[in-house]
Amino acid sequence: MSAGGVSGGRGGRPARPSGEAFWWAVFSAGGVMAALFVPAFVIVTGFLLPSGDAAVAAERSAQFAAAAGWWPVKLVLLGVVSLSLFHCGHRIRHTLMDLGMRGASGLLKLPCYGGALAGSVWLGWVLWGI
Amino acid sequence: MPAQDTMTLEIFRYHPETDSEPRFQSFEVPYNEDWVVLDAMNWIKDHVDGSLTHRWSCRMGVCGSCGMMVNGEPKLTCAAFLKDYYPFSIKVEPLVNFAVERDLVVSLDGFMEKLQAVKPYIVRDDVNDTSGGEYMQTPAQLAQYKQYSMCINCMLCYAACPVAGHEDEFLGPAALALGHRYNKDSRDQGQSERLDVMLMGEAIWGCTFVGECTEVCPKHVDPAGAIQQAKAGAAQEYFKRFVAPKGAGA
Repeated sequence: MSAGGVSGGRGGRPARPSGEAFWWAVFSAGGVMAALFVPAFVIVTGFLLPSGDAAVAAERSAQFAAAAGWWPVKLVLLGVVSLSLFHCGHRIRHTLMDLGMRGASGLLKLPCYGGALAGSVWLGWVLWGI
Repeated sequence: MPAQDTMTLEIFRYHPETDSEPRFQSFEVPYNEDWVVLDAMNWIKDHVDGSLTHRWSCRMGVCGSCGMMVNGEPKLTCAAFLKDYYPFSIKVEPLVNFAVERDLVVSLDGFMEKLQAVKPYIVRDDVNDTSGGEYMQTPAQLAQYKQYSMCINCMLCYAACPVAGHEDEFLGPAALALGHRYNKDSRDQGQSERLDVMLMGEAIWGCTFVGECTEVCPKHVDPAGAIQQAKAGAAQEYFKRFVAPKGAGA
């Protein structure tokens, strides 16, 4: 009586190294970004900048927007957001695999990583225009 | 003399030579506060039905033989006390994600193959050279891997892991934790050979960090943490080999 899984051994033993190492590395880097920097961004842009007197808040926001026009800041923003998007895409892909779509793991790369790439390109375009 | 309290065990039965389907059979067992589920099963085998088939050996959480699903959770039955379930009935099933051979005995073949694949022993290039004496190790070097060496191969982590049940290529929590244990051992020189295996397909990347392997481990090993650390090492090796393929300079 077979329950599948472990008793199948390594019947589907692959012959070549997997490119999953690359996606995991991007996922891991994005996890650090999403855990450390995204909450800080949310606190700064969502709570600290708009707090207090409206005129002062508007001035602070304008200064922050101006800072986003500086190339090092653009690169940091692009890195944080893009890696976070790939982190998100990888997690969604693996969640869908856990939910029964393991057979489509290759096909799922297209919407998951493609979506992250599209988001990154869009952000790059926006930042380019600042 | 007051009547002896009893408990009900509902036990998974399957004898492939006579049964076309598995079934559950109920047994009334004496309730003793200091009995574990394994004691109750051995009582059934000795007094009620000698054909009940289950693995056990040490009765003290060391051998890793008596892992079963107890009320749906992977447990060592030598460490699952009746008093924790009394007065309700207890359902005992074979570990999930494994093929059943007979009653509560599961096939170990796939697990053993995965375990052997990671070379869970010290690999040395100079294995025959003992002229320098024993391989010395500092307490700090020991601390790098000691936790992972506590694994008793009970396979509860495979029963708890949702990926192990669906992905044949995935080496699974215990094998990966043990591979990582030897990779972190300062006396070992087999990391490259293990990474050859870990870098293939879903061997390590199949883990989606559900973390249940760590939750159910009776020896408090942290296979989920070991796998994440091993992934970081495997990813570094992947990029290293991408830039300078293994054997290219040989």
